Amino acid sequence: MAKAPAANPRLYAAVPRATQPSVASRLLRTLLPPVLMGIVLIIGYAITRNSLEPHRQFLMPDAYGLWTQAFGIAKVRWDLLDRSLTTLTIAIVGMCVSIPIGMILGIVMFRFHVMEKAFFPYLVALQSIPILAIIPLIQSALGFGFMPKVLIVALFTFFAIPTTLLLGLKSTDRGVIDLFKLQGVNWLVILRKAGLPSAAPALFAGLRISAGLAVIGAIVSELFFLAGRGGLGQMLINAKMDFKYEQMYAALIVSSALSIGVYLFFSWLGNRLFADWHESGGKSA
Amino acid sequence: MVGPSGCGKSTLLKIASGLVTHTGGSVRVDRNNLGYTFQDATLLPWRKVRENVELLMELRGFDPTERRRVAQEQIDLVGLTGFEGHYPKRLSGGMRMRASLARSLALNPSVFMFDEPFGALDEITRERLNDELIALYMRQGFTGLFITHSIPEAVYLSTKVVVMSKRPGRIVSTFDVPFAYPRTPELRYAPQFSELCGDISVALRDAIEK
Repeated sequence: MAKAPAANPRLYAAVPRATQPSVASRLLRTLLPPVLMGIVLIIGYAITRNSLEPHRQFLMPDAYGLWTQAFGIAKVRWDLLDRSLTTLTIAIVGMCVSIPIGMILGIVMFRFHVMEKAFFPYLVALQSIPILAIIPLIQSALGFGFMPKVLIVALFTFFAIPTTLLLGLKSTDRGVIDLFKLQGVNWLVILRKAGLPSAAPALFAGLRISAGLAVIGAIVSELFFLAGRGGLGQMLINAKMDFKYEQMYAALIVSSALSIGVYLFFSWLGNRLFADWHESGGKSA
Repeated sequence: MVGPSGCGKSTLLKIASGLVTHTGGSVRVDRNNLGYTFQDATLLPWRKVRENVELLMELRGFDPTERRRVAQEQIDLVGLTGFEGHYPKRLSGGMRMRASLARSLALNPSVFMFDEPFGALDEITRERLNDELIALYMRQGFTGLFITHSIPEAVYLSTKVVVMSKRPGRIVSTFDVPFAYPRTPELRYAPQFSELCGDISVALRDAIEK
């Protein structure tokens, strides 16, 4: 076998630890990403708008238009706020339906393997059915009130809850479960003191997904329910019919903000709850 | 107990403790007050050290003041004083194992199963925990069934070393360990100690190669 080539040591100078970045540079580092992204967005928007023929530029209103026709008008602002609350109420009530039912299903599937076998395919199927496609059916069956919209939100948000909870419960440390079993405690105690806490971070990841979908579901449900006074979704459609594209954009912006806000709320809550003990908590994400 | 990986040492402990039901033969053991430590510390990550040590007492329905008192006593005993409020994530591997021991000791078990508890620790920490385990044994006098891959650990801790063969796991030989308790670290360098370790090592190699 060939001998290894002779070692040829080199001297490497120490690299002193970087000093604490100044406030200005830290500020720059925080602000630069959103500012850069903002510039890209504005340029993109401006190019697209200006490449439209003048009679189609109404599709992309400018900032001046948005202010004078929508956000600048007190009545429109109140309208946006009022409708946001309506949409948010639908989203929250929908989640109040899907979270408990989803959690119970997740627990039942965990406890009885046969239930998992029985239910899981239907959960996947539920996820694969375009919910949009069954909205007309829901409408025909249940009418135009509040509850059908809640049902739609519940359908939108359901899938992530039992699936993430089941995954979390299943990944409970075997040793921990054995430890509990050795004390002869019943299954409910194991679930309450070991299973649920250990599944909580996974469940929260599911809740975060569901929360974003809840707002989307609420808005989508309203697109189909134009009777009465509705939320942001109805405003979108009305604005289109009335040719008020600035108001439509305003509704779009507010609904995106709502969706992001709900998502951020759940992220924040999750981080707060799990910061001390789980990798998902704390500073990152 | 020593034996090749996968020969069923852990399964034997699980059968002894009732976690796995046996399909043949018979088991005779006092399961009323059983201690058990696993290959890892199996602490609940969302509980602080104190709450982890209190866990088994909580499951047994001890009242909170009693729980707290015993937990503090055990925490002091395993040398974790000052870390009661820490989450397991913040502890080193050896400290986690100490907390795990404290948790089991809190019930003052009469029979104690050890499923290779110190296997993942470094040599120095392992030797220190061996000494601490001897001290705990002197204090509380439980019966221990200890699985390990380290022959010196087996000899250092026990009165009898059992060698198992590879699958299907059978007991191929047993060695009586004559050294008196309390055993001290010097024992590890005594000629008789090395000799016994050597004999067990040969038996183990036979068991693996046969």
